Amino acid sequence: MSTQRTTQEEDPVATLAEGLSLWVGKLSDLVKKVVDTGPIRNVVNWARMYSLWPVNITTACCSAEFGAASGARHDLERFGVLPIGSLRQSDLIVIEGTITKKMAKRLRMIYDQMALPRYVIAMGDCAMSGGLFHDSYSIVNGAHEFVPVDVYVPGCPPRPEALEQAIIMLQEKIRRSKVYEQG
Amino acid sequence: MSAPSKPVPLTTVESTETSDSGAQTLTLSVGPQHSGSGHMRLIVEVDGDIIVNVAPDPGYVHRGIEKIIELRNIIKSIPVIERPSIIDASNLNHAWVRSIEEIQGVEVPRRGQYLRTLLNEMNRIMSHLYWLSIYGVFLGHTTMFMWPLGDRELFIDLAEKLTGARITYSYLVPGGVRRDLPPGFAEEAVKRTEYFEKRLKEYDRIFFNNPLFTSRAKGIGVLSKEKAIELGCTGPTLRGSGVDADLRKDEPYAAYSELEFEVSTRPDGDSFSRAMVHMDEMRESCKMIRQIVKKIPAGPIRRKAPIVLPRGVAYGRVESARGECSFYLIGEGGDKPYRARYITGSYRNMAAIPAVLLGNRLADMPTAWWSIDYWPVEADR
Repeated sequence: MSTQRTTQEEDPVATLAEGLSLWVGKLSDLVKKVVDTGPIRNVVNWARMYSLWPVNITTACCSAEFGAASGARHDLERFGVLPIGSLRQSDLIVIEGTITKKMAKRLRMIYDQMALPRYVIAMGDCAMSGGLFHDSYSIVNGAHEFVPVDVYVPGCPPRPEALEQAIIMLQEKIRRSKVYEQG
Repeated sequence: MSAPSKPVPLTTVESTETSDSGAQTLTLSVGPQHSGSGHMRLIVEVDGDIIVNVAPDPGYVHRGIEKIIELRNIIKSIPVIERPSIIDASNLNHAWVRSIEEIQGVEVPRRGQYLRTLLNEMNRIMSHLYWLSIYGVFLGHTTMFMWPLGDRELFIDLAEKLTGARITYSYLVPGGVRRDLPPGFAEEAVKRTEYFEKRLKEYDRIFFNNPLFTSRAKGIGVLSKEKAIELGCTGPTLRGSGVDADLRKDEPYAAYSELEFEVSTRPDGDSFSRAMVHMDEMRESCKMIRQIVKKIPAGPIRRKAPIVLPRGVAYGRVESARGECSFYLIGEGGDKPYRARYITGSYRNMAAIPAVLLGNRLADMPTAWWSIDYWPVEADR
């Protein structure tokens, strides 16, 4: 053990690498500090707020109201919300209703595959607490049991206006939070 | 439609395997997260891009509704029964109250029957419009996603006036309906249906007569008449294969015997025929709504029905937007049923999914699959 230590101390490459990593670590801390204070944070958060692309995953019947909200009258795209098929390019999961035990595993996998930062809106009573089906043998009582949730939308199903409100609340949350602490 | 030879892992992992003939096939897992809609998985085996085997994997929305019904009393069950097909709620509700009334022996007043029929037909239009908008998503036609959803709001507003809720009404109760027609409803309904019929012509112009759609739908996903009957399909899927079967005509319930309408059938059995059956049904429903608000008789809307379910057995069925929806109900004297078997149109039509997909190209899968109008929540219950 002692011989190893002496060789390491004498090795100029290891010493240099150690010093470099220390320096890079300090630099990244500095970058984080600079980004989080001042106008860069506002720019980054502004970009994140208005391009919330939800991944195309429907868990249950609230998808009907999600569809209505994306449709012609309510048009979620004016908030920058564009449902998209590819999960690697999306930032948001809207959990639309009841989560069964079979679906919960897949939902968690989709969440894990998404790039940071990622946000979750739990839509409907079922995604909050099981709702109408709380005593069923095959469902998970609430989305918070397996993914962190940013905004809850109560209702069975919530009206499209409620979903719009949730999007605005999420945007407000993003606006106030630090760049490196999101998702 | 046999199960794939190898167990398919949870992820979208592709596996290559060589069959006895030396041909290479690829097993793909489509869903439950995919670019269309619908929370189900299809395990598709392709040879090149020809689909050689399909195994549907449903159950992502199985919520055990049949068991929940046994734990609630018959009135409290109504919202639970609506949830499987939230876009077609009143039709499912109708099957439930029909089976209860059959056991209880309650007769519904004629005005109540007319109001039930009114909401059912409005729901059929809304459900078909939702189907059409998702068809637009599946085919990458954004206009056809926006237009039907925008026009669906016409009928949602109308239903909200009548029942107080956008899509989940709980309007039909044993013995009748909850609320009477609001003032000014008839004029509004006539105005909106007439406007909607004009819009349907525009749909034809931009989508159904569009080569972008016809070339992708005509001759794709053919389901022959014999095969459709053999698989036990119902609703627009069956009528799209040329079978004249509609419970509203064959076993008239509510006010359907007093209304004039035609059952639309198409002989070809391809995706295009099934889509056109949906369109024809929307036109017929518009006519029916206008007839109902004109003909509706005066009188009570609800007769007092007991809250208990007497000992007995009943089978209540209706023609919902996706086909026959039925309840087999066993009462044992309490306020809860002993058992309720719940079968919906999508559940019956699930067997048609492999039948329409086999032999087609993978790129034709969205057209053929969604023409069945398979709503997974309704099928899984």
